[in-house]
Formats: sequence, C-alpha cells, structure tokens
Amino acid sequence: MNRTLRVARRVLQQLLRDRRLLGLSIVAPLAIVYLLKLFFDTMPPGFNVARYAVPVAAFLVHFLAFLLCAIVLVQERTGGTLERQFINGFRRHEIIGGYLLGYLGLATLQAVAALAEVVLLFGLDYGARTLLALFAVVWALAIASVMLGIFVSTFARRESQVFPFIPLIILPSVFLSGLLFPFIPLIILPSVFLSGLLIDSDRLPAWAELLGRLLPLRYANTVIQELIRPGGALGNVWGSLAALGAYSLVLLLLASRTLPETE
Amino acid sequence: MATTHNVTMSATPRDAGRRGAGEARAQEPAIEVNGLTKRYGAFEALRGVDLAVPRGALFGLVGPNGAGKSTLIKALVGALRPSGGGVRVLGLDPLRERAAVRRQLGYMPQSPALYEDLSARDNVAFFGGAHGVPDLRRRVEEVLAFTDLAARAGDGVATFSGGMKRRVSLAAALIHRPPVLFLDEPTAAVDPALRARFWDLFRSLAASGVTLFISTHLMDEALLCDRIAILRRGRIIAADTPRGLLERGRTRLTVRRGGVDEARTIGGRPEDLAAALHPYGLAREIGAVAVEAESLETVILGLIGEE
Repeated sequence: MNRTLRVARRVLQQLLRDRRLLGLSIVAPLAIVYLLKLFFDTMPPGFNVARYAVPVAAFLVHFLAFLLCAIVLVQERTGGTLERQFINGFRRHEIIGGYLLGYLGLATLQAVAALAEVVLLFGLDYGARTLLALFAVVWALAIASVMLGIFVSTFARRESQVFPFIPLIILPSVFLSGLLFPFIPLIILPSVFLSGLLIDSDRLPAWAELLGRLLPLRYANTVIQELIRPGGALGNVWGSLAALGAYSLVLLLLASRTLPETE
Repeated sequence: MATTHNVTMSATPRDAGRRGAGEARAQEPAIEVNGLTKRYGAFEALRGVDLAVPRGALFGLVGPNGAGKSTLIKALVGALRPSGGGVRVLGLDPLRERAAVRRQLGYMPQSPALYEDLSARDNVAFFGGAHGVPDLRRRVEEVLAFTDLAARAGDGVATFSGGMKRRVSLAAALIHRPPVLFLDEPTAAVDPALRARFWDLFRSLAASGVTLFISTHLMDEALLCDRIAILRRGRIIAADTPRGLLERGRTRLTVRRGGVDEARTIGGRPEDLAAALHPYGLAREIGAVAVEAESLETVILGLIGEE
C-alpha cells in the first residue's frame, strides 16, 4: 500500500477509535442547525430563511474540518509522532495527502449530515441536481478547510496556539464572506444569534471585500447563493468554484513547504 | 513480562565478549560524527562532537540531563539540521541520502511517540508500513512477541503503563529489522525488572550484529556497553571501554592485619591491585586481581526473584 494511503488509513482509524470526537463533530453541527431553526422561527414572515440555511451548514463543516485537522496535526508535533513519521521515511506530501484523504472522510459525513438536516428542517425544496451541486461545493470547501488546518498547524507549536487562528481566520470568514455566524459553535453561538447581523459582501467597503477574497468561505458562499437563487445556474459562478479549487491547491503547495521535516 | 533475568545489571564490563567477530568489519564505522555543532540562537547544544562507533557495537552515550544526548541522536537520525560538522550512518548522510539511511536505522525517541488511540499492533504496523516491510502482518506479531506484548497487542496504547508504551515504541523501532538502532534513554522511568529485560533484548540484538547507540544517564547501564562516550555540555569529555574508564579511577583498599585496618588508595587497574597485595603475601606470579561486586540493584532484583 502506498504511504499516503497508509497515513489516511491511520487517521481514519484514529477518528473511528475516538468516539467522543467523532460524535461531537457530527452531532454538534446538527444541534447548531437545529438552534438556527429555532432562531429563524422567531423571524417575521417574509424573512428569507433559505438565504442562510445552507451557507450556515457549509460554515459549520468549514469550521470543524479546519479546527480538528489543525489540532490533531499539532498534537502529532507535540507528541513526537510527526518526527517519528519523517524518520521512518514518510515524506511531507504523503503526510499532507494522507491527512487530506482521512479528514475528507469525516468532512463528507459532516457535509451529508448537515445538508440533509437543513433541507429537512427548513423544508427546502431544491431539485436533486441543485442538492448535488450544493453538496459538491460544501465538499470543496471542506478540502480547502483541511488544507487551511494543515497550513495553520505548521505555525502552532502547541494545541493552544491553534486558537488564536480561530479569530484570525474564522471570524473574518464570518464577516467578510457574507455571513456573520458562530465561530465557537457551542459557546459563542447564543450571543452570535442574538446579535444576528448578516451582510452581503457587495455591501462591504472595498478593502474588506478584498480581504474576504482571502477566505475560502467567501467563494463557497457565492456559489451557494447562486445555486439556491431561483433560476440560478452553476454556470454563472464557475469562477468562484474554480477559485475555491485554486485556494486548496495554493494551500497544499504552501503547507508542503512549511511543514518542517527537520529541526 | 518474563520473570527470569539472565542479564544482571552488575558492574561487569562486557568489552571482552563480542570483540572477535566485529573486528574485521570494524574498519568501517557504523556511525561517524565529525566536528558536529548545533546552535539554537545563542545556545550551543553541541559544541564540536567527534565520535566513531564500530559496526555491531553496543555503544553507550552517557551524560546528565541537558548534556545534548537527544540533540546528538536527532542529528544522527536526520531529524535535525546541524549548524556545523557532519554525521554519517553506514557511510551515508542522513539528510542528503535520506531514503537510503531511513531504511537502515531504527529510532526509539525519548517520549513514547505513539498514537494513543490506536492499538499496539496498529502502531507498529503503521510505522512498518512506511518501510514496505515484506509480510508485514507476520513481522508485526514477531516483533510484538519479542517485546513481550503479544497478549495486549490489540489493546489501545492509551490503556498501557509507561513501561508497556516503551516496549511498543521499541517494537516500532525494530519492525523493519534495521542494522543500526538509536535508542534515546530507552530505560528512563522504567522499573528495574523491565530495565533488565530491556538490556536482555539489547544484548540479543547486538549478538545478532545490530549496532546499538543507546543514550542513558544511568552509569550502571553504561557498564553493559562495549564502548561509552561521556557527553557534557555539548562536548565529549571521554570515550573508552567501560574497563578503560574504570581503570582511570582509583580503588580504596583496606587490609585488616592483626586487628588493625591499613587503608590506602591505589590505581583502578587489576595490576595495581595485585601489586598492592604482593606485600601481604600474594604470590608473585599473580599479576592481576579484579574484583567485581554485584550492584545493589542486582542484589535486590535477586531477592525479588526469590520471592
């Protein structure tokens, strides 16, 4: 078996053995989506729920994939297993590729569960093709998030050092991608919902709009908004979808340079 | 864990034992270190280390905590870029000839460095997989049996004691049958019975021709090595056989004659002891006398074994 697949299998084995983490990363998005439903139920009639339902699901997948991947990789560094992998002959690209494959398994599960729940709870009647396209964009966002997690982990020496990156990356995502939403799902959630401010990115000042372009959620949100718009077509937002793909590729290249093989 | 110990932790230098077989190949060292330095900012962790370890040797790197032992081992396994000087393992540069070197060396780091969520078997198999070990499954069971882990092979490492984690870590270092093994304080914080068992394993590996490079801060362990280097503040301050080092020391000799103790200090060589005893009537043809007492640990382990 190739070494990338060995890393991926090991990452999946770890995830499957850690039932608590696995449960939390599937159940937490579901609980949050449900809270969102309760929140939206209080809105006056005429409020466009669909505008937010799927983007929030996408955001949750983005956040969890990023955070879990970054933390577990930093644990590998502090525990010495990263060094041990290198000494045993695993190469950087094999470890990054393995993580990507392993975490995509988890992100796929999260994407399916969260999307299914928003569609059912909010009674969204999207066609099969739209649903498939939505799933594809959430999935592409998950890839970008895992890459972001790997990239960020190379700058953090301890698990706790991942946390400053949350406001740095996740918070701007929330503001600048056209969404203002939870960044630490279980704790900050109520306050974020209470202040529930939602901004379209074209209403932002130019500099903030440009800054938003650095974040993968912005592209995913553009694609999602087009897909759920009546008469919207994927063909109109190919650029954003391509940007999301390019984003992952650039991060892959960056991470494969910044993940240090030697001290 | 085996309860019998055919290895004692006593002060028995073993430089006489396996010399003959390795003599011919000893021309080409397994490990060479030349003028190695490593700086972390203003701090110099290694300050010009020179070493040569013959093939098939059981080599002990002795030194207090913070002497630079782990740094030296990391440079040897290619986990660290030296600031100056060079290292060679089996004639290869661990950084430039990475792939070739990594197949040949096994490394057991100071911390267990294992995946706690995985079983002992999955951990060992994962690292074995990196080397493309043929018939991996069988080899994993073999190496787990060698380290006395067969009974708990399927259990999560998180449930293991410190000593068991070390055995898993050793198994992971041995999985691809490397001809050179680097063990960074393999017996730190390990109970005496397991330490004895570890040295049992190290000896059997050395007997099969593996070169072992073991760091320790325990002096009685150093005595079990073929050669020792003493590292202090990033410098090798002595390198010799255990006997050679002991002979540099002094022996306190007390002879009771007619109820009166006569004490004096003599050299550490067996010849010195014989010479000191000649005035007391030791036959002139006896040129050397060596006394090797068991260590307190060996005596205690013996008592535990009798229980």
